[in-house]
This record gives sequence, structure tokens and C-alpha cells, in this order.
Amino acid sequence: MALLPLGNVAMIDYTLEFLTSTGVQETFVFCCWMASKIKAHLQKSKWCRPSSPNTVHIITSDLYRSLGDVLRDVDAKSLVRSDFILVYGDVVSNIDISQALQEHRHRRKMDKNISVMTMIFKESSPGHRSRCEEDDVIVAVDSKSQQILHYQKTQGLKKLQFPMNIFHSGSEEFEIRHDLLDSHISICSPQVAELFTDNFDYQTRDDFVRGLLVNEEILGNQIHVHVTQDGYGVRVSNLLMYDSVSSDLVRRWVYPLTPEANFTDQEGHSCTYSRHNVYRASGVSLGHGSQMEENVLIGCDTSIGANCYISNSVIGDSCIIGDNVVLDHAYIWNHVHIASNVEIIQSVICNKAEVKEGVTLKKQCVLAYDVVIGPNISLPEGTVVSMHHPEEEEEDDDEFLSDDADVGQRSDKTKQKVFNPAEVGAEGKGYIWKASSLDDTEEEELSQCLWGLVLNPDPESDTEDSDTDDPDDPVIPSPEMDDVKVFHMEVLGTLQRGLEENISCDNLVLEINSLKYAYNISLKEVMQILTRVVLEYPFQQQGTHLTPSQYVTLLLPLLKKWAPVFKNYVKRAQDHLDCLSAFEEHFLEQESHWAAMVKVLMNMYELEILEEEMILRWFSQGATSDKSRQLRKNQGLQKFIQWLEEAEESSEDGE
Amino acid sequence: MPGPYKETDLTERVEAFLSDLKRGGTGAGPLRGSAETARETTALLRKITAQARWSSAGDLMEIIRKDGRRMTAAQPSETTVGNMIRRVLKIIREEYARSRGSSEEADQESLHKLLTSGGLSEENFRQPFALLKSNVIEAINELLTELEGTTDNIAMQALEHIHSNEVIMTIGRSRTVEAFLKDAARKRKFHVIVAECAPFCQGHEMATNLSKAGIETTVITDAAIFAVMSRVNKVIIGTQTVLANGGLRAINGTHTLALAAKHHSTPLIVCAPMFKLSPQFPNEEDTFHKFVSPHEVLPFTEGEILSKVNVHCPVFDYVPPELITLFISNIGGHAPSYIYRLMSELYHPEDHEL
Repeated sequence: MALLPLGNVAMIDYTLEFLTSTGVQETFVFCCWMASKIKAHLQKSKWCRPSSPNTVHIITSDLYRSLGDVLRDVDAKSLVRSDFILVYGDVVSNIDISQALQEHRHRRKMDKNISVMTMIFKESSPGHRSRCEEDDVIVAVDSKSQQILHYQKTQGLKKLQFPMNIFHSGSEEFEIRHDLLDSHISICSPQVAELFTDNFDYQTRDDFVRGLLVNEEILGNQIHVHVTQDGYGVRVSNLLMYDSVSSDLVRRWVYPLTPEANFTDQEGHSCTYSRHNVYRASGVSLGHGSQMEENVLIGCDTSIGANCYISNSVIGDSCIIGDNVVLDHAYIWNHVHIASNVEIIQSVICNKAEVKEGVTLKKQCVLAYDVVIGPNISLPEGTVVSMHHPEEEEEDDDEFLSDDADVGQRSDKTKQKVFNPAEVGAEGKGYIWKASSLDDTEEEELSQCLWGLVLNPDPESDTEDSDTDDPDDPVIPSPEMDDVKVFHMEVLGTLQRGLEENISCDNLVLEINSLKYAYNISLKEVMQILTRVVLEYPFQQQGTHLTPSQYVTLLLPLLKKWAPVFKNYVKRAQDHLDCLSAFEEHFLEQESHWAAMVKVLMNMYELEILEEEMILRWFSQGATSDKSRQLRKNQGLQKFIQWLEEAEESSEDGE
Repeated sequence: MPGPYKETDLTERVEAFLSDLKRGGTGAGPLRGSAETARETTALLRKITAQARWSSAGDLMEIIRKDGRRMTAAQPSETTVGNMIRRVLKIIREEYARSRGSSEEADQESLHKLLTSGGLSEENFRQPFALLKSNVIEAINELLTELEGTTDNIAMQALEHIHSNEVIMTIGRSRTVEAFLKDAARKRKFHVIVAECAPFCQGHEMATNLSKAGIETTVITDAAIFAVMSRVNKVIIGTQTVLANGGLRAINGTHTLALAAKHHSTPLIVCAPMFKLSPQFPNEEDTFHKFVSPHEVLPFTEGEILSKVNVHCPVFDYVPPELITLFISNIGGHAPSYIYRLMSELYHPEDHEL
């Protein structure tokens, strides 16, 4: 994909230009397929000149099957020891990531390397033409720290599930965003490579993100996002994206990477820019009466016949186009011959192909290298024609887009197969690739559903068994609620048995711990559930119609008995606060028992389950709902707090 | 061996400068003002003179022309680069002529000279002179000092043009005009109205700077220019380039301002240092305009509408010379019809086409 031309410039040039203008000084390019060609191209380009500020190292291996393999190799060879930017070779961008870099570094310094990666997203409304369907994602992000709490691909999903842990994660405010376009640019720390080595089933970046979110508690790693409004960053991953990025390029959204800027510094490739986004390189000849309507880019030495009508197209170098040709959203590469009276709509025609007279190519056709389409034929939508026969066994998995050299080698084999004139016209050469007959191909590249999914219902474009990683398994299954309920019941059962059989508190603690592991409950939740179970115990025993005083008389001995259990769990300051919030929740539900609340609280304080500082802090913390504000206004509670404060002062004076 | 090392160092500098030119100018106002570009170009040319290998003036001119073509092709809208190159070429010619000992007659084109000289203009520039290098470098240094003093020179003339209790209008942000107004504000009290100049809205920054200097400032939108013009005494603007016919290539919105001023017979004064004078004429459709990313006009987040609509964001405007009253430059004030004479003093006719 990296070498395919976008606006007559190979895509990898855009990526390298983006990196160089950001100030990157050393780039590693990992290639596996067509490695020698990429190497040759790069060495001829301006990136490998001695005066280039960015040194480019090219590393090739046939074993790279995915992003995961590449990063494992990076780790194995210890190629990077500091923060690095991870980009695909077909990203077109002009985003200025210096601010994101600063934030990333700042975060890592502040939090001691917890943040592992910063992903860069661009804000763009859903359904925007430049959003790739396959990459559509829903992200839950914490508003203050920009940390990712949940990440899910939405392609094809009609319903979305959000796991509860994002609500409990301790952030005060978080946003769920569907308006983000993944630019596939990430700022990674060296730990990323290590993490890929540790988990060798991570193949793509999505696996990595999901894996990290799932394991967040254990490993403590976090991923952050940076959202830009200005700047343009899109990955060309399928032909629809190719179409839309080409249009954006010609309409100058990626300024300053515009066609007339000739940023690759190649001789003879500069073009002039005229009104309505028409770009013409040198040596272009235009026939009489032809119109280049708008958004057209024409390469050098191309000649166009009379009375043609061209709009929204990109034409490569040295093409010969006949008369009366209509081109709309056509992407024509180099050395193509198009005869007269041809109509091409939204199609791609590769190098050296030939289209004879009277041909009509409907939407989303692809003509591969050297194909000839005979006169007076009309190709239906979505046809793909290549010189490689689809049935052929290809030893080294060469795709139909490989060109001349390989076809020549196989010419003996292909000569035996005859071109079907009904498909490609009387003088045509090439085979039609049907959607179903393609077996799996390499992970990059245009594979059968070339055009990707479209939002408008499009009949043929649904089959796709290509590169994209396993679609959306529901990311984090959320039967947690059930687990929590079951846990709740179990704890209740344990405490009941404890009471009846007079089990010691240590054993109770042991039991609760084992339940925690069995149901995979977090420590904080254990504590909160324990608090609630205990507070609800009298209701369980005697039903819900208790007066406050009865409730208190039942509860206090229980508290005393189970104090050691509490103390085992309530150790850190945060635990106190969690316990208090569970306490608050319980009493918010039991409004009638607010009178009892104070006694219970006092008791817990005396039993040294809760410390006074924590109680005071909980009290002064902003109450989040009206009811809890009312709770805090309760007379008894206020008196208790006052007494606490005095007690604290006196104890301080006493010392 | 310092030679080859110096050369790669030099090529690196040139490449870096070229990439900077290509990437700079994201359209949100020039990232560097024209003055800095001019200074950097001149410094780079000085470095080329010092470090490149040349034996005669002709070689040096060839080298500079070649590099100059690349630099102007990198960012055609940045004309100060081309201007500086032509100035340096003229310096080289002068120094060569002086070393040769020929009389320093003004080689301005005049009909009389054409008739009488006839055929003598076959200067080869091939004679090597030992001191030529140092002379040229000295002259370039003088040029650099001149560049540094331009804004102050212009600002010194402010008191003659601005009187008390005047209402002055300006558009967008120009460092020259800012210095001009601040200098006048030290002795006079006047009002300034600034048109904000959408979509980049540089007028806001200008207004903040002026009010910090104690000048009463008002900001208006571009659409209100005509309405407010009846109360304005003078219009003072800056520009990106002064063209050979006396016209301007200035930030978009300036033509509107100029037309409104003409309608109300308000004098339009342009403050432009001499390095902005370019021998180009305004009929080159392809290199005249600079269009940047349409993001400023219709943001990318708008979605579906973008594929149905064409959005353009031009940066510059052409102002014809009839609408301009006076040019104030570092060598004094001129009428637009005098510009062609100034040009012949600065540049040699053969250098107009690099």
C-alpha cells in the first residue's frame, strides 16, 4: 500500500513528510511485502539524501505478518529506547503533534510512567466521508486526564454495551465519544514494545488497547488520547478511503502537502495550480473543447483529446486520453491509454492499462496493471479485472496488483487460459475477480471487498474476509452485575453462618477473601458490599419494618462482633471513604432510618472502624445529589460532626 | 579537508531553508514576517558566497540564480526571497564593475543610452578578481544592516502624516504599520479602527497590541468597512508585496478597503519597506494566489456537506495602483507611478527573470 500513488506521489512519501515536518530525526521503516521495491524507492527519494534531517532505516523481513510481529522485533532488537511515534505507511497527515508529545511526556513524568501510549484522534462528525467504516470506534474518555476508559469498534453493531467498571473507575466526569476519527498515529513509550513481547497474541493495535484496558488493574497501565480539531490525519486503508483522501488532497485540506508544492523534490514533477483546484504538471496538452471542471490533477506529459469532460479526478504521468471521454472521480495512474468515447466513474485504473473505445466503467471498478478492456463493453459496478487469474495457485502470495515482471514469468501458465471476451471485450486481456472466489490474501492491501463498507446500502460490498482484525468481540463482557449480586448473597450467607455457628472473625475473613477471588470482585467492592450487607442485616433478619431504635439495637452488637472483619478491609484512607460512601448509599435508600444513622456512625467511630478525619472529609465532600445533601443536613448528623470536630481539637490541644 | 564538508553543510542549510519555506506559511498569517524571511535569505546568500566554489563573478551569479530558482519555486507567494536574490545579483554586478574600474555610470535604461551604447552590454563577468569575494560580502552586510533598520526608518516618518484627533483605519496585522502608529502615538492622540480580516482574524492581535501602547482602538468586521468609512480620515495599511506596476498584493479584504476609501475620497497610505518591491506584474494567474486549507472557512468536522460544496480559502488580494495615494518606504514617500524608477535602482533588468 505504501507505494501506491495518491495524487501522483507514493503514499509513504506523505507519511515520511509528516514525520519530518514534526521534527522526527530517525525513522525505521518495516516492510515485509514488496520490500525491495520500497527500499529502491526510498533510496532514490529525498529522504535518503545526506542532507535530509531525517535518517531513514529500512528493515525488511518476510516474517512480519502484523503490527504485533513488528513491535516484537523492535523489542528484540532494542531499536528504540525512548518514546516513539508509531504510524502506518499509508497515513496522510499534517497534524502538528508537538503538543500531544509535550502532554505525553508531562504525563509520564508526573505519573511515573503509567501512561503507556497516547493515541491521536481527529474530531469529525459520524458519517463523515473520511471516516473509515471499519475503523469506527466508540471511546469513553475521562474528561480531565484524557485517559481511555473504554474502547470499542462499532462496525456493524446496532447495540453497544458499556461495562460498569468505567462508571466506577473513580473519574468524576467522563465522555463517551463517537465523533472521533482514528488517525492511526500513536505516541508510544518503550514499554509498548515490551508489552507486545509479553503478550504474543497481540497482533494489532486494537488487541493491544483492549488488552491493556482489561488488565488495567493488574498492570496499572493507562492509555490516553489527544484530540485535535485542526490538522488532517487519515489512514488510507481501503479504496473508499483512497477516494476520499484523494479528494481531500486535491481540495487542499492537507495543506501544505499540496500537489503543487512538490514536497518530494522530484525533478519535473512540479505542477501549477489554477482556479477551482485544477493542477497541471508540465507538458500537459489539452484538446479543443475539453474542460477540466474542478478538482483535477494531471501529471506530466499527459495528452487529453478534444471535448473531454474531467472532474474530481487524478491522472498520472504520460497518459494518452482520447476524445469525448468523461472522467468523474477517476483515479488513473501512469502510462494509461484511454481511447475515445469512454466513460469512467469512480474507478481506479493502474499503470499501463488500456481502455479501448466505447467502454463504460461503472462505479467502483478496478483495472489492475496491464489489463486491456476491449471495445464497446460496459463493466458493471464493482468489477475488478486483473492479469492474474483468480484460480491460479500463487506460491508467494503475490496479489493481483503485482506487475509486469511477475506476469512475464507466469506467461506459460496463463497462455493456457483464455481471456473471456464476454467479460473483457473482444480485444480485452484480463480476468475478472469475483467476490467469493478469492482466498485469503496478505493483511495489508486491497483485498476483495476493495471498497470497504459504505453507509448507503450497496449491494455487492458486504463480503469481506480481509485484513481487519477479528471484528468486535464484545469487548468486556459485563455479567459483572450478576457476579456482584451473587457475591452479595454469598457474603450475606457467610455472615449468617458466622453468627449462628459462632465462627471466628479470622475465618470469616478467609471465607470472604476466597469468595472475592472466586467471583473476581475488586477489593473496593468487597468492602462496600460488606458494609452494605452488615447494615442491611437487621432487615434481612427481621423484615423491613423496623423502627429506627429497633434497628439500632439489632445492629450495634453485630457491628461489635464483626469489627475485626471490617478493620481487616478498611485500612487505607481511600477505603474509609469507600466504606462511608457505601454507608451513605444505604441510608439514602432507607430514608426513614436517618435517626438511626447517627448512632450507627458513632458506633463505628468508637469501634475504630472509621477515623474521624475520614468522616470529616466525607462530610465536607460535595454531596452529589439533593438527597445526600439532605442527609448531611440531618440534625443528628450535624451534631455528631460538630462533636467530632471538637473532639479532634481537644485531642490536638491535649497533645 | 574543509572543502567537501563545507559543501555538504551548505547544501544542508539550503535544503533546510527550502523545506522551511515549503512548510511555513500555513496561512494562519505568515509564521515568520517578511522581514525575517528577507534577513534569512540574505544571510543564506552570504553563506553561499562565502562557501561555494566559484572563480569569477559569472560563476557566482550562476550558482545564486540556480539556488534562487529553487527557492522561489518552493514558495512562489513569498516574494521577498526573490527580491533579495535580485538585490544580491545587482550587488555582484556593481562590485564587478567597480573592480573592473569602469565608471560607475548609472546603468538605468533610458532611450539615450540605448541609442548610444549599442552592443557594449556584452559583459562576460568572467574576469576573476581577488578582492571580489570580500567586497561582495561586505556589500551584503550593508544590505543586512539596511534590512534591520527599515521598520524604524518608516516609523520615523509617522509624525508627518498623522495629526491629532484623526481617525485612522487599518486592516489585519502588519508589523510595519504597528510600529508606525506606535511611534506617532508618543506625541499625538488619535483613534484607530482595525478591520479584523477574517478568517484568520489577525486584526484582533493588532488591536490588542495597539491598545497596550495606549492608542484608542476599535475592532470592526470586514463587512462594516464601508459603513464606517465615512468617519475615517486616513487609511494606513501594510502589504505583502508591492508589484512592479505600483499595485499591491495584500491580505484578502484589502481591495474592499481600498475601494471604500476611493469612494469616500479618503487617502490610502501604504507602509512598505523597499525589500517588498518585486519586479513581478500581476498578470500571472498561476502564481499570484495562494490558497490554503479550507479548514478556516468551513471546518472539517462539518461532515457530509463537505463533499457537496467547494470551499476555497485564498490568502491574498490584488489592489490596483489607481486606488493608492502614497507609498511610505524606508527611503521616503512616493507616488505609485514612481515605483518603476525605484525598481530600476534596485534590480538589474536582466535579473527580472531568474
